[in-house]
Amino acid sequence: MEQARAGEYDAFVAARWSVLFHLARLLTGGDRHRAEDLLQESLVKLWFVWPKVADEAPEAYVRRVLARAAARSARRRWWGERPVEVLPEVAAAGDVSATVAERSRLEAALAQLSPQQRAAVVLRYYQDLPDRQVAEILGCPVGTARSHAARGVARLRRLLSDVIEPVG
Amino acid sequence: MKHLDDTEHMDHFERQLTRLMHSTREPVRYEPRHQDALHAGVRARRRVRAARRAAGSVLAVAGLGLGLLLWPHGHTDDRPSAPHPRPATSPTPVGSTSPGPSQSPSTTGAPSGPPSSSATAPATPDSTASTANPPGASGSSATATTTQQPPPGTATSPSTTAPPASATVGAPAEPSDTPSSAMSPTR
Repeated sequence: MEQARAGEYDAFVAARWSVLFHLARLLTGGDRHRAEDLLQESLVKLWFVWPKVADEAPEAYVRRVLARAAARSARRRWWGERPVEVLPEVAAAGDVSATVAERSRLEAALAQLSPQQRAAVVLRYYQDLPDRQVAEILGCPVGTARSHAARGVARLRRLLSDVIEPVG
Repeated sequence: MKHLDDTEHMDHFERQLTRLMHSTREPVRYEPRHQDALHAGVRARRRVRAARRAAGSVLAVAGLGLGLLLWPHGHTDDRPSAPHPRPATSPTPVGSTSPGPSQSPSTTGAPSGPPSSSATAPATPDSTASTANPPGASGSSATATTTQQPPPGTATSPSTTAPPASATVGAPAEPSDTPSSAMSPTR
Protein backbone atom coordinates (compact mmCIF):
# COMPACT_ATOMS: atom_id res chain seq x y z
CA MET A 1 0.00 0.00 0.00
CA GLU A 2 2.72 2.41 1.00
CA GLN A 3 4.89 1.24 -1.88
CA ALA A 4 2.12 1.80 -4.40
CA ARG A 5 1.44 5.21 -2.98
CA ALA A 6 5.12 6.14 -3.16
CA GLY A 7 5.36 4.84 -6.71
CA GLU A 8 2.42 6.88 -7.93
CA TYR A 9 3.67 9.93 -6.12
CA ASP A 10 7.18 9.65 -7.55
CA ALA A 11 5.79 9.14 -11.03
CA PHE A 12 3.67 12.25 -10.77
CA VAL A 13 6.53 14.36 -9.43
CA ALA A 14 8.92 13.15 -12.13
CA ALA A 15 6.40 13.88 -14.87
CA ARG A 16 5.42 17.34 -13.68
CA TRP A 17 8.64 18.54 -12.14
CA SER A 18 9.69 20.73 -15.05
CA VAL A 19 6.34 22.50 -15.38
CA LEU A 20 5.98 23.02 -11.65
CA PHE A 21 9.52 24.22 -11.33
CA HIS A 22 8.97 26.84 -14.02
CA LEU A 23 5.84 28.01 -12.22
CA ALA A 24 7.77 28.26 -8.97
CA ARG A 25 10.52 30.16 -10.70
CA LEU A 26 8.10 32.70 -12.10
CA LEU A 27 6.37 33.04 -8.73
CA THR A 28 9.69 33.78 -7.04
CA GLY A 29 10.85 36.25 -9.64
CA GLY A 30 13.54 34.01 -11.09
CA ASP A 31 15.18 32.94 -7.85
CA ARG A 32 16.17 29.40 -8.75
CA HIS A 33 17.11 28.16 -5.29
CA ARG A 34 14.13 29.69 -3.65
CA ALA A 35 11.89 28.23 -6.33
CA GLU A 36 13.38 24.81 -5.70
CA ASP A 37 12.81 25.06 -1.97
CA LEU A 38 9.28 26.32 -2.51
CA LEU A 39 8.52 23.43 -4.81
CA GLN A 40 10.02 20.92 -2.38
CA GLU A 41 7.89 22.30 0.42
CA SER A 42 4.74 22.12 -1.69
CA LEU A 43 5.47 18.57 -2.81
CA VAL A 44 6.08 17.47 0.78
CA LYS A 45 2.64 18.79 1.64
CA LEU A 46 1.28 16.94 -1.37
CA TRP A 47 2.65 13.66 0.00
CA PHE A 48 0.48 13.84 3.11
CA VAL A 49 -2.70 14.52 1.15
CA TRP A 50 -1.84 12.26 -1.75
CA PRO A 51 -4.54 9.62 -0.98
CA LYS A 52 -7.17 12.35 -1.11
CA VAL A 53 -6.07 14.31 -4.19
CA ALA A 54 -4.33 11.64 -6.24
CA ASP A 55 -7.43 10.81 -8.23
CA GLU A 56 -8.63 14.37 -8.58
CA ALA A 57 -6.18 17.19 -9.29
CA PRO A 58 -2.81 16.88 -7.60
CA GLU A 59 -1.28 19.53 -9.84
CA ALA A 60 -3.96 22.03 -8.92
CA TYR A 61 -3.23 21.36 -5.26
CA VAL A 62 0.50 21.98 -5.76
CA ARG A 63 -0.25 25.12 -7.75
CA ARG A 64 -2.43 26.43 -4.96
CA VAL A 65 0.17 25.71 -2.28
CA LEU A 66 2.91 27.25 -4.39
CA ALA A 67 0.99 30.46 -5.13
CA ARG A 68 -0.11 30.96 -1.55
CA ALA A 69 3.38 30.34 -0.20
CA ALA A 70 4.89 32.71 -2.74
CA ALA A 71 2.35 35.44 -2.03
CA ARG A 72 2.92 35.00 1.69
CA SER A 73 6.68 34.93 1.47
CA ALA A 74 7.06 38.69 1.85
CA ARG A 75 5.64 38.57 5.36
CA ARG A 76 8.20 36.16 6.71
CA ARG A 77 11.92 35.88 6.50
CA TRP A 78 13.29 33.31 4.17
CA TRP A 79 15.44 30.68 5.87
CA GLY A 80 15.67 28.17 3.05
CA GLU A 81 18.96 29.25 1.51
CA ARG A 82 21.87 26.90 1.98
CA PRO A 83 25.47 27.43 0.88
CA VAL A 84 26.82 24.81 -1.53
CA GLU A 85 30.33 24.08 -2.72
CA VAL A 86 29.49 23.57 -6.38
CA LEU A 87 27.10 25.79 -8.25
CA PRO A 88 24.23 23.67 -9.52
CA GLU A 89 23.82 25.66 -12.72
CA VAL A 90 26.71 26.76 -14.85
CA ALA A 91 26.07 28.83 -17.94
CA ALA A 92 27.19 27.05 -21.07
CA ALA A 93 29.00 28.78 -23.87
CA GLY A 94 26.13 28.66 -26.33
CA ASP A 95 23.48 29.36 -23.77
CA VAL A 96 23.46 33.08 -24.35
CA SER A 97 20.62 33.45 -26.77
CA ALA A 98 17.54 35.49 -27.34
CA THR A 99 15.43 33.12 -25.27
CA VAL A 100 17.73 33.34 -22.30
CA ALA A 101 17.88 37.09 -22.61
CA GLU A 102 14.10 37.31 -22.70
CA ARG A 103 13.81 35.04 -19.72
CA SER A 104 16.30 37.06 -17.77
CA ARG A 105 14.44 40.28 -18.51
CA LEU A 106 11.13 38.74 -17.66
CA GLU A 107 12.35 37.35 -14.36
CA ALA A 108 14.04 40.60 -13.46
CA ALA A 109 10.82 42.48 -14.16
CA LEU A 110 8.74 40.02 -12.17
CA ALA A 111 11.13 40.33 -9.24
CA GLN A 112 10.25 44.01 -8.95
CA LEU A 113 6.58 43.32 -8.34
CA SER A 114 5.11 42.71 -4.96
CA PRO A 115 4.52 39.02 -4.12
CA GLN A 116 0.76 39.39 -4.43
CA GLN A 117 1.01 41.19 -7.78
CA ARG A 118 3.50 38.63 -9.07
CA ALA A 119 1.34 35.71 -8.02
CA ALA A 120 -1.76 37.27 -9.58
CA VAL A 121 0.01 38.02 -12.87
CA VAL A 122 1.56 34.55 -13.12
CA LEU A 123 -1.69 32.76 -12.31
CA ARG A 124 -3.61 34.97 -14.71
CA TYR A 125 -1.23 34.96 -17.70
CA TYR A 126 0.82 31.81 -17.33
CA GLN A 127 -1.79 29.47 -15.85
CA ASP A 128 -4.64 31.09 -17.82
CA LEU A 129 -6.90 31.18 -14.78
CA PRO A 130 -9.90 33.50 -14.56
CA ASP A 131 -10.02 36.18 -11.92
CA ARG A 132 -12.41 34.21 -9.74
CA GLN A 133 -10.03 31.25 -9.54
CA VAL A 134 -7.04 33.51 -8.95
CA ALA A 135 -8.88 35.10 -6.06
CA GLU A 136 -9.76 31.69 -4.68
CA ILE A 137 -6.16 30.51 -4.78
CA LEU A 138 -4.80 33.69 -3.22
CA GLY A 139 -7.55 33.75 -0.61
CA CYS A 140 -8.74 37.26 -1.36
CA PRO A 141 -11.81 38.88 -2.97
CA VAL A 142 -12.14 38.86 -6.74
CA GLY A 143 -11.76 42.62 -6.93
CA THR A 144 -8.53 42.47 -4.97
CA ALA A 145 -7.13 39.76 -7.22
CA ARG A 146 -8.12 41.73 -10.32
CA SER A 147 -6.48 44.84 -8.88
CA HIS A 148 -3.27 42.96 -8.13
CA ALA A 149 -3.12 41.62 -11.66
CA ALA A 150 -3.90 45.00 -13.29
CA ARG A 151 -1.29 46.85 -11.27
CA GLY A 152 1.28 44.16 -11.92
CA VAL A 153 0.68 44.24 -15.65
CA ALA A 154 0.85 48.02 -15.68
CA ARG A 155 4.22 47.91 -14.01
CA LEU A 156 5.49 45.17 -16.31
CA ARG A 157 4.37 47.27 -19.27
CA ARG A 158 6.79 49.95 -18.25
CA LEU A 159 9.61 47.57 -17.34
CA LEU A 160 9.38 45.44 -20.50
CA SER A 161 8.74 48.18 -22.99
CA ASP A 162 11.98 47.44 -24.82
CA VAL A 163 11.43 43.68 -24.90
CA ILE A 164 7.81 43.72 -26.02
CA GLU A 165 7.39 46.32 -28.69
CA PRO A 166 4.10 48.17 -28.64
CA VAL A 167 1.90 47.81 -31.69
CA GLY A 168 1.65 50.73 -34.01
CA MET B 1 -6.36 28.55 -24.47
CA LYS B 2 -8.93 27.69 -21.87
CA HIS B 3 -10.37 31.15 -21.61
CA LEU B 4 -10.86 32.39 -25.13
CA ASP B 5 -13.01 35.29 -24.06
CA ASP B 6 -10.34 36.61 -21.74
CA THR B 7 -7.67 36.10 -24.39
CA GLU B 8 -9.67 37.97 -26.95
CA HIS B 9 -9.94 40.91 -24.61
CA MET B 10 -6.18 40.99 -24.10
CA ASP B 11 -4.18 43.67 -25.74
CA HIS B 12 -0.93 43.13 -27.60
CA PHE B 13 1.26 43.45 -24.54
CA GLU B 14 -0.76 40.94 -22.53
CA ARG B 15 -0.63 38.41 -25.37
CA GLN B 16 3.11 38.91 -25.72
CA LEU B 17 3.50 38.55 -21.97
CA THR B 18 1.62 35.26 -22.06
CA ARG B 19 3.78 34.01 -24.88
CA LEU B 20 6.93 35.11 -23.12
CA MET B 21 6.00 33.30 -19.93
CA HIS B 22 5.46 30.04 -21.79
CA SER B 23 8.41 30.26 -24.11
CA THR B 24 10.98 30.97 -21.46
CA ARG B 25 10.47 27.63 -19.81
CA GLU B 26 13.59 25.54 -19.80
CA PRO B 27 13.44 21.76 -19.42
CA VAL B 28 14.61 20.64 -16.01
CA ARG B 29 15.11 17.00 -15.17
CA TYR B 30 13.93 15.43 -11.96
CA GLU B 31 17.27 14.35 -10.57
CA PRO B 32 18.03 11.85 -7.80
CA ARG B 33 19.10 14.67 -5.54
CA HIS B 34 15.64 16.17 -5.89
CA GLN B 35 14.12 12.83 -4.96
CA ASP B 36 16.41 12.42 -1.95
CA ALA B 37 15.67 15.91 -0.74
CA LEU B 38 11.96 15.30 -1.19
CA HIS B 39 12.01 12.07 0.81
CA ALA B 40 14.09 13.70 3.51
CA GLY B 41 11.56 16.50 3.70
CA VAL B 42 8.73 13.99 4.00
CA ARG B 43 10.49 12.21 6.86
CA ALA B 44 11.27 15.46 8.65
CA ARG B 45 7.70 16.66 8.33
CA ARG B 46 6.42 13.31 9.58
CA ARG B 47 8.59 13.65 12.67
CA VAL B 48 7.37 17.18 13.24
CA ARG B 49 3.77 16.07 12.96
CA ALA B 50 4.32 13.21 15.38
CA ALA B 51 6.03 15.50 17.87
CA ARG B 52 3.28 18.05 17.55
CA ARG B 53 0.64 15.38 18.08
CA ALA B 54 2.47 14.07 21.16
CA ALA B 55 2.82 17.57 22.57
CA GLY B 56 -0.86 18.17 22.00
CA SER B 57 -1.75 14.97 23.82
CA VAL B 58 0.49 15.87 26.75
CA LEU B 59 -1.05 19.32 26.94
CA ALA B 60 -4.54 17.88 26.82
CA VAL B 61 -3.80 15.40 29.60
CA ALA B 62 -2.13 18.09 31.70
CA GLY B 63 -5.05 20.42 31.25
CA LEU B 64 -7.51 17.69 32.16
CA GLY B 65 -5.52 16.79 35.27
CA LEU B 66 -5.28 20.42 36.31
CA GLY B 67 -8.97 20.85 35.82
CA LEU B 68 -9.74 17.82 37.95
CA LEU B 69 -7.30 19.03 40.60
CA LEU B 70 -8.94 22.41 40.82
CA TRP B 71 -12.43 21.00 40.74
CA PRO B 72 -14.28 22.20 43.90
CA HIS B 73 -15.34 18.73 45.02
CA GLY B 74 -14.76 19.48 48.79
CA HIS B 75 -17.30 22.25 48.95
CA THR B 76 -20.29 20.56 47.50
CA ASP B 77 -23.54 22.06 48.79
CA ASP B 78 -26.31 19.92 47.49
CA ARG B 79 -29.00 20.39 50.12
CA PRO B 80 -32.52 20.07 48.84
CA SER B 81 -34.49 23.22 48.71
CA ALA B 82 -37.71 21.63 50.01
CA PRO B 83 -38.03 20.47 53.67
CA HIS B 84 -37.71 16.81 54.48
CA PRO B 85 -40.98 14.94 54.09
CA ARG B 86 -42.52 13.90 57.40
CA PRO B 87 -44.25 10.58 57.94
CA ALA B 88 -47.97 10.78 57.60
CA THR B 89 -49.70 10.49 61.01
CA SER B 90 -53.33 9.93 61.60
CA PRO B 91 -55.23 11.40 64.59
CA THR B 92 -56.09 7.94 65.96
CA PRO B 93 -55.95 7.21 69.72
CA VAL B 94 -52.68 6.25 71.25
CA GLY B 95 -53.92 2.88 72.41
CA SER B 96 -54.64 1.69 68.92
CA THR B 97 -51.17 2.46 67.66
CA SER B 98 -48.16 0.31 67.96
CA PRO B 99 -46.93 -0.25 71.49
CA GLY B 100 -44.39 2.22 72.63
CA PRO B 101 -42.90 3.45 75.80
CA SER B 102 -45.75 5.87 76.35
CA GLN B 103 -48.35 3.12 76.64
CA SER B 104 -46.83 0.94 79.30
CA PRO B 105 -48.00 2.98 82.32
CA SER B 106 -51.61 3.02 81.17
CA THR B 107 -51.90 -0.73 80.75
CA THR B 108 -50.04 -2.34 83.61
CA GLY B 109 -49.34 0.36 86.12
CA ALA B 110 -45.99 -1.16 86.94
CA PRO B 111 -43.89 1.12 89.10
CA SER B 112 -40.76 0.47 87.05
CA GLY B 113 -42.03 2.33 84.00
CA PRO B 114 -41.39 6.03 83.88
CA PRO B 115 -44.50 8.13 83.80
CA SER B 116 -45.18 9.79 80.52
CA SER B 117 -47.45 12.68 81.04
CA SER B 118 -47.67 13.57 77.40
CA ALA B 119 -48.91 10.18 76.39
CA THR B 120 -51.20 9.48 79.30
CA ALA B 121 -52.72 12.88 79.71
CA PRO B 122 -55.18 12.52 76.82
CA ALA B 123 -56.14 9.07 77.95
CA THR B 124 -59.80 8.37 77.67
CA PRO B 125 -61.89 6.95 80.51
CA ASP B 126 -61.99 3.63 78.67
CA SER B 127 -58.29 3.24 78.78
CA THR B 128 -58.10 4.04 82.49
CA ALA B 129 -60.86 1.58 83.33
CA SER B 130 -58.68 -1.28 82.22
CA THR B 131 -56.19 -0.56 84.93
CA ALA B 132 -56.32 -1.68 88.53
CA ASN B 133 -56.95 1.79 89.80
CA PRO B 134 -60.43 2.62 91.09
CA PRO B 135 -62.53 5.00 89.06
CA GLY B 136 -62.59 7.57 91.77
CA ALA B 137 -58.87 7.94 91.78
CA SER B 138 -58.62 8.72 88.11
CA GLY B 139 -58.18 12.46 87.72
CA SER B 140 -58.07 14.57 84.72
CA SER B 141 -54.51 15.59 85.20
CA ALA B 142 -52.86 13.33 87.78
CA THR B 143 -52.10 10.37 85.63
CA ALA B 144 -48.84 9.63 87.40
CA THR B 145 -50.63 9.17 90.72
CA THR B 146 -53.01 6.63 89.27
CA THR B 147 -50.28 4.51 87.87
CA GLN B 148 -47.56 4.63 90.47
CA GLN B 149 -49.04 5.40 93.85
CA PRO B 150 -52.19 3.48 94.51
CA PRO B 151 -54.68 4.87 96.97
CA PRO B 152 -54.71 3.62 100.56
CA GLY B 153 -57.75 1.46 99.97
CA THR B 154 -55.91 -0.75 97.56
CA ALA B 155 -52.94 -1.30 99.80
CA THR B 156 -54.54 -4.37 101.40
CA SER B 157 -54.72 -6.26 98.17
CA PRO B 158 -51.99 -8.88 97.98
CA SER B 159 -51.03 -7.95 94.50
CA THR B 160 -49.91 -4.53 95.60
CA THR B 161 -47.85 -5.44 98.61
CA ALA B 162 -44.62 -3.66 98.96
CA PRO B 163 -41.34 -5.53 98.59
CA PRO B 164 -40.30 -5.06 102.27
CA ALA B 165 -43.39 -7.01 103.35
CA SER B 166 -42.44 -9.92 101.26
CA ALA B 167 -39.01 -9.76 102.84
CA THR B 168 -40.50 -10.30 106.31
CA VAL B 169 -42.46 -13.25 105.09
CA GLY B 170 -39.37 -14.86 103.84
CA ALA B 171 -37.64 -14.33 107.18
CA PRO B 172 -38.65 -17.73 108.74
CA ALA B 173 -36.01 -19.22 106.55
CA GLU B 174 -33.85 -18.71 109.63
CA PRO B 175 -35.73 -20.65 112.36
CA SER B 176 -32.81 -21.32 114.57
CA ASP B 177 -33.34 -18.40 116.99
CA THR B 178 -37.06 -17.70 117.18
CA PRO B 179 -38.43 -21.18 117.95
CA SER B 180 -35.98 -21.71 120.77
CA SER B 181 -37.04 -18.53 122.48
CA ALA B 182 -40.68 -19.41 122.15
CA MET B 183 -40.33 -22.84 123.79
CA SER B 184 -38.51 -21.67 126.82
CA PRO B 185 -41.58 -20.28 128.75
CA THR B 186 -43.42 -23.58 128.47
CA ARG B 187 -40.78 -25.30 130.49
